[in-house]
Amino acid sequence: MAATMKKPKMINQQVGWCPGCGHGIIQRLIAECCEELDLAERTIQVVDIACAYWSIDTLNCDGIAGPHGRCAAVATGIKKVYPDSNVYVHAGDGCSYVIGLAETCYAAQRNVPITMIVVNNGIFGMTGGQMCPATTLVGDKTVSSKKGRDSHVAGEPFDMLNIIKNYDIAYAARGALYDPKHINATKKMLKKGFENQRDKKGFSIIEILSPCPTNWKMSPVDAMEKIKNENEKVYPIKVYVDNGGEANG
Amino acid sequence: MEDVTTKTRAKAQADTSLCKGCRLCVGACPKDAIIPLTEMNKKGYEIIRIEEDKCIGCGQCYTICPDYVFSIE
Repeated sequence: MAATMKKPKMINQQVGWCPGCGHGIIQRLIAECCEELDLAERTIQVVDIACAYWSIDTLNCDGIAGPHGRCAAVATGIKKVYPDSNVYVHAGDGCSYVIGLAETCYAAQRNVPITMIVVNNGIFGMTGGQMCPATTLVGDKTVSSKKGRDSHVAGEPFDMLNIIKNYDIAYAARGALYDPKHINATKKMLKKGFENQRDKKGFSIIEILSPCPTNWKMSPVDAMEKIKNENEKVYPIKVYVDNGGEANG
Repeated sequence: MEDVTTKTRAKAQADTSLCKGCRLCVGACPKDAIIPLTEMNKKGYEIIRIEEDKCIGCGQCYTICPDYVFSIE
């Protein structure tokens, strides 16, 4: 029998993101993982009020967009009330690592069994391409760092997973989307995150290096090359934690 | 008995009305079977064409496409 690959049934509309945006690939990976693990019926998505918000219309499952940056806190609340649901966060780096840093850290500290998916595109995408203090690389030009990020003024970008891995959590890993091989590896990471939640093992965070061709002012192909040649050196693609923490739902 | 040699292999199908012209699939295809065109779809994006003879149905285009243009069947 010939192999078939088709868009997951959970995705019931066209996507609204810019051409070449990594969010579309991530949304498909999420939908595939939920369907393959038979979790689609009890999935509740928590999206940020930013680029990730598009998937609240596109995915055929329950969803909520809480206050900006507070996705991990909202997801924690949902998980406490509906412990059998499959709650995942789909948010960007600005939400999770800048305005919502406290929420992300305390969700990890409490080891709430949710799956947190952080899209690291190194920029504040929805607001027009400002510098992200956590993830924009030194030297990258944005609308709020016209001459490139200066580490004397804005500091150095930091690897948040290096901080989060110190909490007692189930899983922390970083994937990338620049070629099909890495996309498939990222899918395995996401699946592991959903499995940890299903088995009530604890907090799982998966960061994904994703392009933002519109705000990087590059073609989609060049943006993927930039991730491969520059971003991956600062944000290594690897599994940080995989130990299965205590259930705390 | 079914003849195995004439059995159709899985090939990539493209719904170019969804295409946004990002060209990621062109670089991802290992057989150079995806041809970028200057022709546009209704949204105004430049679309692609699949050369069916070259396609081996590997699914790399399906994997990398952010807009779900491809299906392999």
